[in-house]
Amino acid sequence: MAEFEPKIVAFVCNWCTYAGADLTGTSRIKYASNVRIVRFPCTGRIDYMLLLKAFDEGADGIIVSGCHPNDCHYTSGNFHARRRWIMFRSLCDFTGIDTERIKFSWVSAAEGAKWADIVNATVSSIRELGPYTEYKKVAKYPEKEVTHG
Amino acid sequence: MSKIGVFVCHCGENISATVDCAKVAETAGNYDGVTFSVDYKYMCSDPGQNLIKSAIKDKGLTGVVVASCSPRMHEPTFRKACAEAGLNPFMCEMANLREHCSWVHEKGEATTEKAIDLVRILVEKVKYNHSLNEIKVPVTKTALVIGGGIAGIQASLDIANTGHKVILIEKDPSIGGHMSQLSETFPTLDCSQCILTPRMVEVAQHPNITLYTYAELESLEGFIGNFKAKIRKKSKSLDEKLCTGCGLCTTKCPVKKIPSEFNEGLGKRTAIYVPFPQTVPNKPVIDRKNCTYYIKGKCKVCEIVCPTGAIRFDQEDEIVELEVGAIVIATGFTVKQPDFFPEYGYGKYADVITGLQFERLASASGPTLGEIRRPSDGKVPEKIVFLACAGSRDPAKGIPYCSKICCMYIAKHAMLYQHKVHGGKSYVFYMDIRAGGKQYEEFVRRAIEDDGVNYVRGRVSRIYEKNGKLIVNGVDTLLNAMPVEIEADMVVLATAGVANEGAEELAQKLHISYDPYKFFAEAHPKLKPVETNTAGIFLAGACQAPRDIPESVAMASGAAVKVAGLFSQDELTREPIIAVVNRQAPPVYSSCVGCFLCVSACPYQAIEKEEIKNRNGEVVKSIAKVNPGLCQGCGTCVAFCRTKSIDIQGYTHEQMYSEVMALLNEY
Amino acid sequence: MVDLIKRAKELIGTSAVKVVIGYEQGTGNKTRAVFVEKAEDADKLIFDSRCVQNLAAYVTKKEVREKGKMAIAATLPVMRSIIQLASEFQVNDKNLLVLGITPDSKLVEFASLVEVETFVHQYQIEIDERNREMLGKLEKMTREERWKFWIDELAPCFKCYACRAACPMCYCHRCTVDFNQPQWIPVPSHELGNLEWHLMRAIHLTGRCIDCDACYNACPLSIPINLLTKKMLLDAKEHFGGYQPSLKGDHLMSTYKPDDKENFIQ
Repeated sequence: MAEFEPKIVAFVCNWCTYAGADLTGTSRIKYASNVRIVRFPCTGRIDYMLLLKAFDEGADGIIVSGCHPNDCHYTSGNFHARRRWIMFRSLCDFTGIDTERIKFSWVSAAEGAKWADIVNATVSSIRELGPYTEYKKVAKYPEKEVTHG
Repeated sequence: MSKIGVFVCHCGENISATVDCAKVAETAGNYDGVTFSVDYKYMCSDPGQNLIKSAIKDKGLTGVVVASCSPRMHEPTFRKACAEAGLNPFMCEMANLREHCSWVHEKGEATTEKAIDLVRILVEKVKYNHSLNEIKVPVTKTALVIGGGIAGIQASLDIANTGHKVILIEKDPSIGGHMSQLSETFPTLDCSQCILTPRMVEVAQHPNITLYTYAELESLEGFIGNFKAKIRKKSKSLDEKLCTGCGLCTTKCPVKKIPSEFNEGLGKRTAIYVPFPQTVPNKPVIDRKNCTYYIKGKCKVCEIVCPTGAIRFDQEDEIVELEVGAIVIATGFTVKQPDFFPEYGYGKYADVITGLQFERLASASGPTLGEIRRPSDGKVPEKIVFLACAGSRDPAKGIPYCSKICCMYIAKHAMLYQHKVHGGKSYVFYMDIRAGGKQYEEFVRRAIEDDGVNYVRGRVSRIYEKNGKLIVNGVDTLLNAMPVEIEADMVVLATAGVANEGAEELAQKLHISYDPYKFFAEAHPKLKPVETNTAGIFLAGACQAPRDIPESVAMASGAAVKVAGLFSQDELTREPIIAVVNRQAPPVYSSCVGCFLCVSACPYQAIEKEEIKNRNGEVVKSIAKVNPGLCQGCGTCVAFCRTKSIDIQGYTHEQMYSEVMALLNEY
Repeated sequence: MVDLIKRAKELIGTSAVKVVIGYEQGTGNKTRAVFVEKAEDADKLIFDSRCVQNLAAYVTKKEVREKGKMAIAATLPVMRSIIQLASEFQVNDKNLLVLGITPDSKLVEFASLVEVETFVHQYQIEIDERNREMLGKLEKMTREERWKFWIDELAPCFKCYACRAACPMCYCHRCTVDFNQPQWIPVPSHELGNLEWHLMRAIHLTGRCIDCDACYNACPLSIPINLLTKKMLLDAKEHFGGYQPSLKGDHLMSTYKPDDKENFIQ
């Protein structure tokens, strides 16, 4: 039986973590290929519903990453995001959503190695946790909607 | 129906070594909405770009996805290529197959699968892209400079010399700032007023500069290129057009004992006064708080003696409205007074003075005509002690930073003292010597080696008076913390440089940020030292942090260039990645409910309230409106809006949703 | 409540307000909201321990607002809701007059919303004993148990949106569930969809909910959805020092402190 390969979605900000991931690439540092990156202008733009939708659609783990506090390209987007994450994470935990599957981090544009570490650590911890079958079980819809423009 | 073109790049071997590019292109070609899908060796090369352009023209493509390197690398390249082929550049997106895929994973099926996924999500996003046009904002080519010290003067002259109009406002009756109070400047020991006054006169005479002194900013509205400022010209009680500056009124005024601000309280002035003889403009001002006429209704001597009848006792403050395109803030700094220091006598000892007060004593036009004399009894001090870091570098006093200029001016003061008082003994208690500028270290060495100033490394714990002397209790850490006691005749405290009173209020009027010490905040500490986070407002000089004259001048010129750059175009173009509040047909007008929580979330205060009026002119609804000139496109408001009424072009709700959904559908 | 009836008659009679919102006797042993527009109808106004419905939900409704200036009989939770609505620019002194009913059932008339705010700030928002117990029980469960608890509790929810209609802070005329481009939250009753709806609502109420329990009281199935918002209240206190509705408008979620503390960001 094939080993379970987690599906990880990463929500990152353009100015720090996306650039940091670019640096990982230019430095040719290898990491696990389970992650797909979605680019946002700032962590402040990341909607809570998108995180839930990611789990909805089959993600086993999520990474949310942005600029370090005080370094936000837009001054304070990451401060707002941080406050939101604190409340959101607590609420998710309260309702039984597995917050171990959502990793938050600050990765700056200079931290290429850190990005690789975060991805690798997340992939191995999700691999241990296993597929998020609990969520997928209740996410089944009577008919699967296919939305293409 | 979308007609999307997918262009998968090999990037030589950078991508194709680990990713099966042909397979990616083939798979992408089968998606709904994709009508053209190829792979090619070098998409960014001329032939590669021509491939895109001809596909757009021949196939009528409505969207383009280039799967190659990072968008941070070539997004502008490919967007420009699309624009040249007639497709709106914002209909082009890039999938990062190189930095995020081929360079970081091993060759294999998983890597190609990832590449396919990354292309798919961008294809789904592009289906919801909209044509966007760059935003144009008109520019008023007049600058407002707030603060008439050396930084404000330099900035005004530089901007005026590029041919643009400048309005310079200064809250004191004269321009010149602290530099006009200095006797000599380090490291050259130039006479400060001699190098400053020609600049001051140049400002007054420059055809492009309008000077308002005794004036402050009342309010500010608007945004970059389009500010509306209200200036309050405080009443001088004078008709400036009639006044010739003869000065007769100041000699005849009977109220002569007001402590002079220019002389830092060490000298006296009259109620109608000019702060110093080289005042620009050379017009006196009546200090209404101390003038007998305003207090008791009697006197009017100045009016009687004035040869041109220029005195106007009933003159009121005037509000002037200005339209300006850029603002330079050069409001400077101030120093802590001795009353801040309980261990140094709470300001009770007249002979414990600040560095600025010492400057006035040393100055040839000062209250003692350049002789160093004790404020208490006018005697020449035989022993003088200078204390560095009085308040600075002291977290316990709430001032953890270094005030930068004190090490230099203490050396200067000690040298001036030694030059003026032969046989006098001077001591400097210091922690470190910070002399990092050009010729600065050599200057301090001269004070120690040539002029015999005694430098003691240690701090002073207490100063108290005994038998008419000031007992200074310090320590010499280089001699094993040996206690040092000096019976001084005068003590000069190099008190901390701090933000002006009213700095916070001014920052709030201007909507700029400031740090916990009320110094104004630059946009980026390394790379944007003269800009603020508010587009169109720039900083110059010590209002941003304590600094010396050459740095203030450099910063002022830097700010001036930024302003000149702004004014070099008639219109500003900005990337259209900004937030927009939706509008719908009446009676709804917008799904926005007007809770305005987005207004406080926006880091740039770019969201305003818009009143929707019906045909009768009655206000039907208040909704949010984004100012396209100020919005920088972070999207914080978008994630915050409960009704999702505000959306950000380029990262709309639809786009991000379709990206996430596409990611995992066939994952 | 005699004082209330008398005052309502005066206000209507002098046209100082056009409608008084209060409670009247309903069917069975229940009370319901009443909208008094004629002085003689003011006799219907009552007040007793059954009157817990949050009347502030009506002050944002078009049908009530277009009558003219409103007056509202407001208990402490209703007053809190009104201040929160005022901080979000939905009501102001020009369109609303508050007839306060103190916790010991006395009538107090406030000249302005600023006075209402001063009154409201004397009391902290407290969570009652029974709910504290329930929250404590949930804290002690394992994560899997909590998940099962909520999925099972929310499964019977048939998306009537009574909770939304009863909540004064749910005044958005296009709610996030009304959005179908894209459809964030599915419309029909669905195991995950129900959780998403109530989670979303709790998040939108973070920093705004004043714990009036109107949502729970309105739910025909008595699903304890108010536990979600109570948890948010407790978290707000733990992480950010809590919040009170305030006319200044320093909303918990649209402001931040540079040193907000968390222990989960790497």
